[in-house]
Amino acid sequence: MTLALARGFGYRYPDAARPALEDVSLEIEPGTFTVLAGVSGSGKSTLLRSLCGLVPHFHGGEAWGELSVGELDVREHGPGELAAVCGTVFQEPETQIVMSGVRAELELPLEHRREPAGAVARAVEETALALGVAHLLERRTETLSGGELQRVAIAAAMVHAPRLLLLDEPTSQLDPVTGDELVWLLRRLNEDFGTAVVMAEHRLERCLPAADRVIAMDRGRIACDSTPAGFLAWAGAGAPALETPAARLFSLSGLAARPVTVKEARAGLPPLERPAAPEPDGRRPRLRLPWRRRPESALALRGVWLEVEDGPVVLRGITLELAPGERVALMGRNGAGKSTLLRVAKGLVEPSRGRVDRAGDVALLLQNPGDYLIHDHAVDDAGAGGVLRAGLAGREDANPRDLSGGERQRLALEVVLGGPSATAVLLDEPTRGMDRIHQDELTARIGELADSGAAVAVATHDTEFTAAFADRVVLLGQGIVIADGPPTEILGGGRHFSTQVARITDGAALLPEDGAAALRSAPVAEAAG
Amino acid sequence: MSLIPIYRPRPSPLHASRAGVGALFCCALALTGALYRHPLVLAATLTAVILAGVAAGVGREIRRSLLLALPLALLVTIVNPLVYAEGDTLLVRGGEILGRRIDITLEATLYGALTGLRVMVIVVALGLLSAAVDPDELLRIFRRASYRSALTASLANRLVPVLARDAMRMSDAARCRPRPPARFAVARAALTGALDRSVDVAAALEVRGYALGGRPPRRRRPWSRHDLRFLAAAVAIAALAVTGAIAGIAWVEPYPTFELAWGADVWALSAALLVLALAPFAGRRARLGIGGGA
Repeated sequence: MTLALARGFGYRYPDAARPALEDVSLEIEPGTFTVLAGVSGSGKSTLLRSLCGLVPHFHGGEAWGELSVGELDVREHGPGELAAVCGTVFQEPETQIVMSGVRAELELPLEHRREPAGAVARAVEETALALGVAHLLERRTETLSGGELQRVAIAAAMVHAPRLLLLDEPTSQLDPVTGDELVWLLRRLNEDFGTAVVMAEHRLERCLPAADRVIAMDRGRIACDSTPAGFLAWAGAGAPALETPAARLFSLSGLAARPVTVKEARAGLPPLERPAAPEPDGRRPRLRLPWRRRPESALALRGVWLEVEDGPVVLRGITLELAPGERVALMGRNGAGKSTLLRVAKGLVEPSRGRVDRAGDVALLLQNPGDYLIHDHAVDDAGAGGVLRAGLAGREDANPRDLSGGERQRLALEVVLGGPSATAVLLDEPTRGMDRIHQDELTARIGELADSGAAVAVATHDTEFTAAFADRVVLLGQGIVIADGPPTEILGGGRHFSTQVARITDGAALLPEDGAAALRSAPVAEAAG
Repeated sequence: MSLIPIYRPRPSPLHASRAGVGALFCCALALTGALYRHPLVLAATLTAVILAGVAAGVGREIRRSLLLALPLALLVTIVNPLVYAEGDTLLVRGGEILGRRIDITLEATLYGALTGLRVMVIVVALGLLSAAVDPDELLRIFRRASYRSALTASLANRLVPVLARDAMRMSDAARCRPRPPARFAVARAALTGALDRSVDVAAALEVRGYALGGRPPRRRRPWSRHDLRFLAAAVAIAALAVTGAIAGIAWVEPYPTFELAWGADVWALSAALLVLALAPFAGRRARLGIGGGA
């Protein structure tokens, strides 16, 4: 029996000029794992909200055509009834957790269904064990990390054993390791319990290996509905923004195959020569370290410690100098001290010990761009020049809340840059939930800022983005600098902190363009693909 | 740092008892504070609450409650003699303000101080409740009676720390702007953000089946020794406090001259309250785990 069926379905949000979904026809079969791909605003989230009944019942607006989930017509049955068939998980972990305790959170959906106490207790216990959150059951939700919150949200969505699980960019707020763990948890739910999964996601390289099927959305319509390999072939032909780095490496190299996994890609390429290894004694060759010869620092932290009262030591004697025009990526796992370091550098937090020297103004863009947009019109927040530089010419009077995530990010950046010319620009996780097109725009803006003489430091988990913008990578761990060098060294030689192309080419290249160039120069006879 | 204590699970007998019983225990102590004005009884009750908090591992939270209660208590202590000029012992002869003579008497000052002490007992007892009783479990009891109201209270309880973090984040963002915006603009944006949060939470509730409107089923949980001990203590404290108040033990006559009882019954009542409040924490049976007896 088909779990979800759409025939010519369309939907328009209240007061919207054009439909968010148009002529959508699809079938979701039990036990399948489907990835929804598409750039921001393509209709992925709206399709998921239609499948769980929030559209049109919660959001209002106008729906037409046919859409049924578990043989319930979504226009006649609300989210409460559809929830018997499908569980739903949203992007933001913080606002989809309703109760203060994890156990209460898992009990709530069953209580809504008037399940007897024994059945509630058993379902909570079994779901918690199956999803690896049993150790969190007695915890308070405000004490959980983002990854733990997202797991609890999935457990709450799964506790009544729905046949269909809908997820809207569930990994966008998580670090790569937690995101990968979540995707494989979903795959296990899919394989062990037969739960059909439909997941919207930007980081396709993360989830395609787990998927059976990919549906690509474009301006509210289904543009491609195929297997992962078929989708990558389609993307290579007409939607390069949706290509994975591995597939892009192959298409730029003129190879016909479109590998879905790193393993497939490695099998399809000739071995490439790795860049020169560090000296045997562990010292790096000085000639390859141009940043050692930098002029006066734009920003310098000297022996900075941050010890939280009654809490952990967050920074442990960090010494770090940023030169004018330098583009630095701060990487490290959650809790390594990246965000705190930026806050200390800006002066939002005073260090317990040590000194921060600033050559001039320091601009800091924190993680949530919406916090900077407090007026009703974009022009009131960033000024006419800022709106122009954010690429929003003609939308001066737009309410910032109506802008897309990428547009808000650009506008917020112009807000913090609106003062006297900053000598250092600091960005904290600016690419969370951002699609490739907006990432490329941000990379270009960072380049402009660096070219104008500002030191730019970006705290990020995104290795692909880092490879694209940075000329230096600083790796933090437990509040200390554990590695500091060029991207080729840090991202090319790491296991976790490496790009997909670096894993495919054993560190010979970081980006698809570099990998393709290396392949073109490799001897043709050695090519295996 | 919030002055209102937040519940965290801890290995203590009070945390181990069911939420309804834990709440009754704390409310019985608060009731004593509401019924009496005698300094010895109030001091004994306040000591009992503080020691119970320490025994429950929430001493730090109790200290915060004291910090919250202290300004209120001082305010009451100061305001009472200013607005109430009864009493024979004149401390300060004030002038006239708006046609009203301001005389400060010893009796009104002492009565104000006792009222302040009552406020402290009540606030700290409720602080103990907030720190040591699971709000989800407590509100679950109320959800059976008034589903939507109790769920709304649960959401408020959940969202308060979230919105506090949001407000702190927005304040940091305002400090990052080259020209700090007006406080009103930030406050308005914070309010709008809170409404956005509420809409997101409402959507989450919808997809969890809120519209089905089921009430939580009655749980049949065996009564643990901690449940029984705290229930017995709560009932005994409440009964003793009510009986003592009806019998007129520990009377206080503030006006015209300050008089109060100092008989053996007052000392016995105070000692009994202290012992009853600490009894559930004492002895081998109060220990947690399988070694504590059934």
